[in-house]
Amino acid sequence: MTVIERRPASRDPQRILPRWLQWTVITLLLLTLLPVLYMLIIAFSPDVEAAQGVLWPSEFEFGNWGAVWTTVDLAGGLFNSLVAAFTAGVIATVFGLGAAYCLTRFTFFGRKLYLNSLVGLQSVPGVMIILPLFVMFSSFGNAIGIQLVGTRPALIITYLTFAIPFATWLLVTYLRQIPISFEEAAMIDGLSRFGALRKIIFPLAVPGMIISLVFSLLVGWNDVLFATVLTAPETQTVAVKLQVFAASTESGALPLYGQLMVASLISSAPVVILYMIFQRQLVGGLSAGGEKG
Amino acid sequence: MVTGRPAAEIPPPAPPPAPNRQGRPATGGRPLWLMWPNLVLLIVVIAIPFLIAIYISFVDLDQYTLRRFFSAPFIAFDNYIESFGASNLLHSVWISLAFAVLTTVFAAPMGILAAMALNTRFRGRALVRSAFLIPYVLPSFVTAMVWRFILQPTGAANNILGWFGIEGTQWLIGGNSFWALTLVDVWASWPFLYMMALAGLQNIPGELYDAADIDGATWRQKIRFVVLPQIRGQLLLGLLLSTLAHFNNFTLPFVLLGTPAPEAALTLPVNVFQTSFQVFRFGLGGAMAVISLILMMIPAIIYLRASRLTADAGEE
Repeated sequence: MTVIERRPASRDPQRILPRWLQWTVITLLLLTLLPVLYMLIIAFSPDVEAAQGVLWPSEFEFGNWGAVWTTVDLAGGLFNSLVAAFTAGVIATVFGLGAAYCLTRFTFFGRKLYLNSLVGLQSVPGVMIILPLFVMFSSFGNAIGIQLVGTRPALIITYLTFAIPFATWLLVTYLRQIPISFEEAAMIDGLSRFGALRKIIFPLAVPGMIISLVFSLLVGWNDVLFATVLTAPETQTVAVKLQVFAASTESGALPLYGQLMVASLISSAPVVILYMIFQRQLVGGLSAGGEKG
Repeated sequence: MVTGRPAAEIPPPAPPPAPNRQGRPATGGRPLWLMWPNLVLLIVVIAIPFLIAIYISFVDLDQYTLRRFFSAPFIAFDNYIESFGASNLLHSVWISLAFAVLTTVFAAPMGILAAMALNTRFRGRALVRSAFLIPYVLPSFVTAMVWRFILQPTGAANNILGWFGIEGTQWLIGGNSFWALTLVDVWASWPFLYMMALAGLQNIPGELYDAADIDGATWRQKIRFVVLPQIRGQLLLGLLLSTLAHFNNFTLPFVLLGTPAPEAALTLPVNVFQTSFQVFRFGLGGAMAVISLILMMIPAIIYLRASRLTADAGEE
């Protein structure tokens, strides 16, 4: 006991860094967040001052928050992003659940390969996928006389290319934690395989499905590559709309930096809020492959 | 509503029992058909496009031949030869590799220190934790746009440098653009390594710290002999995933630097994009995409190995 008492710095056994270093690290890292704050300041600044790189405006400008909705079709972009990302997320989650159930409950030929593909496919470069899809959409579209490039279904299909492996893998890691004995007990008590699936597994899997839906949605929302190639003005997601707006702001006579920052804040708000709600699952999901290395 | 919808997708009537029952002797059959929709979708949206990408890389496909791409002239390995010879592919591979590795190297100490600093309880810890996530969870296109604004010639970055008597410079064109890109990606990605390290720290049993304390270990020794060995697996996975993600990152360089990208920061994904969708050399772009996939497979195989270890460990 006396040995421990001699060292008052280590009261908390979990403490690793000495107090001074701990607070230096925290302070410095919090300071790196200043650009986020700057975004907020510029959203309330007059454009002329923003263009000069002024850090604090001489007066606050609230007009940006109203004007942005008419300058750029922000509402349309938000709607398009939501529709494309949400639809892809729902499809991926529903289809992913069935596969995840089989992959965690049965052994069959090709199961290992399937699991590995799910992981491997997540690292396939987006440019590798978008090129053939674009060529397919444009040439098949020409062949059957329907314009596919620029439509929403085309975009949703491309989002599925990452949403399906991602959602399926996430659900595999989730269903793995539900003990098989739950179903076996239910089946011994007279439920059919499907009864057990519906009454036991499904309710337990709902949180996992929500997480898979949310994260698929977020990845879709953040996509720029697929949406740049595959959307027309009326289907543009908010990411693309914002970029078009930024380009016009930079080359235009009068810069609209204030509105640009407002638009940035509005389009990131849903993402940041969702991530904050699902913070715990985010960490779990990211390291899903490697709980123990 | 989220919970209601999928229920309708799973058809309630019992399926015909599957005939083969090797494996786990469970009652009630093995409804393996449940995974067919998933498999079919994977084949349609990934496997077929994948094969077409390989086909495209062997034909001379541009905007004129796009309409009849099955009759595009077959030119065997010419696209590949051009990729390695006349095009700037190798330059891009080098840029992407340097960018991916440097970003991870700079972000790792930040992430690890942050995780260790937040491992003790203190007032406001939850708030700091959430704040640390912000750069990571901001959409990349927003991060890139904000930094583009900060780093422009008359922007805040040059203003602040001016206070210290440092002459402002061009950050987004020329040689500096590579460092601007690295800086911004470090800013955006260190929280990922922080989260991975934190997850690792939470698995360290308290007794190890106690033992270190009793042995009179200093904090440096604690880091070196307790913390780092204990989070090694988690951390290595994080470093690998992080490098892979930077190598693949399209959004950040694309939005931060615009197109055509400055030569010094022409990363591979942006190069493939420009070749395919701005010069419309689909064949050449396809060859470059295939080459970048092969390059990606090297770390991906390592990743698969790492995750297979855990896939096995996590089962039964």
